[in-house]
Amino acid sequence: MSEVTPIRDLLQTLLKTKKLVRMYPENNPMYIKAINDMYEKTVEVFQDIENDITLNIRQYEILYDDKQVYYNPEKTDNLALFFFKDGIRELKFLRGLNKEELEDFLKIISLDEKELIDDDIVTLLWEKDFQHIKYVVDESVLTEDEDYELRATQQVLEETTSPDDLLRAYRDAMDAEGVKPTQIVPLGETDLKALMQEFEKDSEPKLKKLVYIISEMIYQEYNNKKELEEIIPAIRSVLEYSIKMADFESATEILKVVKTAAEDKEISGDIKLLLKKIVEFGGSESVIKNIGEVIDRIEVEEGPVKEYIQQLDRNAITPLIEILGELKNMRARRVVIDSLAILGRRDIQNLVKGLSDERWYVVRNIVYILRLIGDKRSVEYLLKTIRHPDMRVRREVIKTLGEIKAPQAVSTLRDHLNDPDPQIRIATVRALGSIHTEAAKRLLLQRINTKDFLHRGLEEKKEYFEVLSSWKDEEVIEFLLKTLKKNALFNRAKNFENRACAAYALGLIGSKEHLKILKKYSDSGNPVFRDHVRNAIIRLEASHGRT
Amino acid sequence: MEELRKIIEIISNLAILIRTSQVHDIKNVAVVNLIEKVTGLINNFLKDEKILQIDLVGEFFYANDTRLKYSIEHLLNFDFLSRELKKRNIGTVIFKNMLGTEDTKTFLKAFLSAGFSKDPLKTMLDSLKGMTSITVDRLKRVKEDEALDMRKVVKKTYFNAVSFSKGLMNKIKTKEAVNIKKAKRIVESMVDLILEEEQLFLGMTAIKDYDEYTYHHSVNVSVLSIALGQRLGLSKKALNELGLAALFHDMGKVEVPIEILNKPTAFTEDEWLIMRKHPQWGVKALLTLKTPDPVLVRSSIVAFEHHLHYNYSGYPKVRVRHEQDLYSRIVTIADQYDAMTSSRVYSRVPLPPDKALSILIDRSGTQVDPLLLKFFINMVGVYPIGSMVLLNTNELGIVYQSNPAFPDRPRIRIIMDSSGRRTDTTVDLTERDAEGRFIRSIVKTLDYTKYKINLAEYLM
Repeated sequence: MSEVTPIRDLLQTLLKTKKLVRMYPENNPMYIKAINDMYEKTVEVFQDIENDITLNIRQYEILYDDKQVYYNPEKTDNLALFFFKDGIRELKFLRGLNKEELEDFLKIISLDEKELIDDDIVTLLWEKDFQHIKYVVDESVLTEDEDYELRATQQVLEETTSPDDLLRAYRDAMDAEGVKPTQIVPLGETDLKALMQEFEKDSEPKLKKLVYIISEMIYQEYNNKKELEEIIPAIRSVLEYSIKMADFESATEILKVVKTAAEDKEISGDIKLLLKKIVEFGGSESVIKNIGEVIDRIEVEEGPVKEYIQQLDRNAITPLIEILGELKNMRARRVVIDSLAILGRRDIQNLVKGLSDERWYVVRNIVYILRLIGDKRSVEYLLKTIRHPDMRVRREVIKTLGEIKAPQAVSTLRDHLNDPDPQIRIATVRALGSIHTEAAKRLLLQRINTKDFLHRGLEEKKEYFEVLSSWKDEEVIEFLLKTLKKNALFNRAKNFENRACAAYALGLIGSKEHLKILKKYSDSGNPVFRDHVRNAIIRLEASHGRT
Repeated sequence: MEELRKIIEIISNLAILIRTSQVHDIKNVAVVNLIEKVTGLINNFLKDEKILQIDLVGEFFYANDTRLKYSIEHLLNFDFLSRELKKRNIGTVIFKNMLGTEDTKTFLKAFLSAGFSKDPLKTMLDSLKGMTSITVDRLKRVKEDEALDMRKVVKKTYFNAVSFSKGLMNKIKTKEAVNIKKAKRIVESMVDLILEEEQLFLGMTAIKDYDEYTYHHSVNVSVLSIALGQRLGLSKKALNELGLAALFHDMGKVEVPIEILNKPTAFTEDEWLIMRKHPQWGVKALLTLKTPDPVLVRSSIVAFEHHLHYNYSGYPKVRVRHEQDLYSRIVTIADQYDAMTSSRVYSRVPLPPDKALSILIDRSGTQVDPLLLKFFINMVGVYPIGSMVLLNTNELGIVYQSNPAFPDRPRIRIIMDSSGRRTDTTVDLTERDAEGRFIRSIVKTLDYTKYKINLAEYLM
C-alpha cells in the first residue's frame, strides 16, 4: 500500500480531532476519546510507513513525499494556510511521539484567531519545545531591512586596524604589567539554593509589581500636568489589564493612589480634573463591561470587586445598570447590586434612571437597590413605577415604599389593597404597617370593615390583623375586641375567621388583661376560631405566666 | 518524557559518582553504593532502548541524539560532568549490552586515572580496550566550514534583531503600530542560537564600533541576558520573555531629545534629569504599544528598574522599596557590562572587557546582584570575548571564545606572532604539549581601544 493513503487518513483524523478539541473541555469524554483516537491513529501510521512523517506545507496544500495529502483552496479553516501564514514550511512528526506532545500540539492548532492575538503559531510551537515534533520556518518574514546587515558589516569593517597600531600594541604589551586575573569563584550548593529561592519568588504574579510601579509614577508626576497627561494611557492600560486578569485588588490600588493624589491641596484644578478622569475611566462603559464579563465567567472573590466599585465615580452607575441586565451568574448580579447600593447613594437621580429600563428584572433590581439605600428622595420615582406591568416589580416597589416608610405613598397604596394578586395585596398591607402612620391605620381599618374583606382568604386577613396589632393603641384594641366578640347571622364561618384574626392580633399585642376575654372563647365550637384563641392564650401565658 | 527523565538521572548520578570517587577510595561504601545505583539506572534504560549514547556538544548534553534541557536542579552536576569530560577530551560515552557493576567500576577507574594523564583520552581508551559495554570517543570540535555557516546564521540573526530594534524605536517615536509577534519570533531565533552557539553570539556583542549604539546596545543586552538566563537554568519560554524585556529595556530613550542622546560632551544636570526619566518613559511607551500581556508587563517592570541598582542608589528614586524583579537584576548586569564596553556618544572611551568585569565586581552588592554576577562571571570567563591578551609565547591575540571548563583558558585569535609579525590563527589555551603542560597561557591583558583595534575584523 502506498504511504500516501495512511498519511492522508491521518490528516483527516487530525482535522476531526482539531474540531473536537476546540469544541469540548479537556475533561469531557468526547475530548478524551478524540485525543486517544488520534494517538492510536498516529501509532498505526508509524507502523505503516518507514520513516518519520515529514509534511511539506504550501499555501493551500500539504505534501508528503512530494504527493498531495491535503488540499483546500479556501482562506478559512485551512490547515495548510494555518501553518503557512506564520512561515512554517515543513512539519515533522518523529517516531516516539507521545500522547502528551500530540495533545499539546492539537491544543495549539485548535486555537482560533482571537486566541492568537499575542502569539503566532511558531511561537506557541517553539515554547513547547517538542522533542518529537519539529518544524522548518521561513525566517525571511523577520527581516525588516534586507540590506541592513550588509551596510552595518561594511561600516564596521571600513576602518581596518593599521599595522602601525598593531605593532605599537605589541610593543606596549611587552612592557605592560603582568596580568591580575579576576578570581572566579566556582558556583556551589549555596548559590544554587539561593537561586532556587529566587525562582520561587519569581513565580509570583507580576501585575502587583507593575501596579506599584504605576503608583510610583503617579506620585512622581501628578503635579506635572504634561507628564501626567502622558502617563494616563499607561495607567488606563494597566487598570484594564488588572480587570481582565480578575485582579481587582490591583485595580483598586491604582484608583486609590489616583484619589489620594487628587486630595493634595497643592495641585491645580486642571490636574484634579485629569485625575478625576482616570477614576471616571475606571467606571466607564468599556471597563464595566469587562468587569461584567470577568465576574460572570469566573468565581471571583466578592470583596475586592465591591471595593473596586466603591472607588468609582457616579459615572459608573449607568454601565453597571446595563451589565446588571446581562449577567447570567447570580453571584455576579449580587455583587453588582451591592455595589450599586453603595454608588447609588451618591447619585440617586442617576440610579433611578434604571427604573425606566425595558427589562423588568433590571427594574426590580433597581427598586431593591433603592430599598437597600432607603433614601426618601427615591419615593417619587418609586410611585411612578408602582404601576409597572410586571407583578414582580410592583410587589418590590410596594415592599420598598413600606421599608422606606414613605407616608406620601399611603394614598397610592390604597389601590393596591384591591390588586387582583393576593401577594401584592399582602405586600401592600405590610407596607402600610411599615409606614405606620395614622392614615395607614385608618386605611387598614376601613378595608377590614368592607363587606368584601369578609370573603378574603384567612391568611390575607391574618396579615391585616397582624399589621394592625403593631399599633397597639386604644382604637385598635377596641376594634379587635369588638371583632372578637362579634356574632353574625350570615356568613358565620367567614365571620369566625375574622374573630380568629382578632384573637391572633390580641395575642400579638401581648397584653395580659386580654386573657380573660380570650379564655371565654377557648371552647368555641368553631375550630378555626377556637384554635386561634387558644394559641393567643398560650402566647400570652408564655409571656406573663398562667393566671 | 519518561526516557528523558531517566537519562537526566543517569547523568546526574554519574556526576555524583565521579565527584564522590575523587574524594573517597573506590572501595568506600558510598562509592560502591553509587556504582551499583548508576549501573542499575543505566541497565533500566538499556532494557528498553538497547543503547545509550551521551554526547557533549558545546555546552549541551545529547542523549541518543536528543538535546537534554538545562534544568536548575541538575545544573551543578551537568556542569561538573561537562568540565570533567572536557578535561579528558571526551565527547561521547556509549553504554550498551547491559552492564555489570565491574564494568562501571572499570570505567570509573579509567576515568579517574585519565584525569592525571598527559593524554587523558588515550589513557581512557587504553583502559577500556576490549570492553564492549562502555566505549568513549573524542570531543568533537566544530568543523571550520560548519562554524563558518553557523557564524553566518548568527550574524544574520543578530543584524535582523538590530534592524528590528531600530524599526521598533522609530515606530514608537512616530506612534505607529508595533508588531510584537515579530519581536517574539526574533528573540526566539536568538534564544535558539544562543543555546546552540552561545560563544558566536557573545562574539557579536563584543564588536562595538557600530554607528547606531542604541539599537546594538538593546540587542547586546538581550543576548547577554539570554545567555545569563540560560546559565541560571531558565526555560526556553522564560528566556524568550527575558530576551524581549531586555530588548525593550531602553525603549524610553525614544523620548530623550536626540541632541542630548548624541551629545559628545558630559551631560549638564538638567540633561541628566531628562536622561533619568527614560525608565518611566519606557514603561509609558511599552504599556501603550498594545493591550498588555505577561511579556509587556514584565518588560515594563524591567524598563522601570534597570537603573534602580541593587541597593536602590540609582534612579528613579522610589518611595517604597519593593524587591527588584529577577529579570531587572539580570538586565542591569548585562546593561552595565555592554555600556561600559561600548563607545557611547556620551562616553567615548569604551573599557576593555576584563576591566569592565572588574568594575562590575566592585559594584557587586551595591549596584548589581552578587549572586547573579557570580553566574555572569562564570559565563564570560576571566577574559571575556574581545579581551586583548599577550601570551607567554609572546603572541598577541584577541579572546575569541571562552571556555566554561577552563575560565582562564579561552580560545584566542592570534593577531601578532611571537616575532611581532601580523598573523591570523586560532589557538585553544587548553592544548598541552607532550609533557602535559599547557602550550600557551595568558600573561598580560591590554586595552584594545588604545590601539584602535577593530574587533570586527577578528570576531565577525
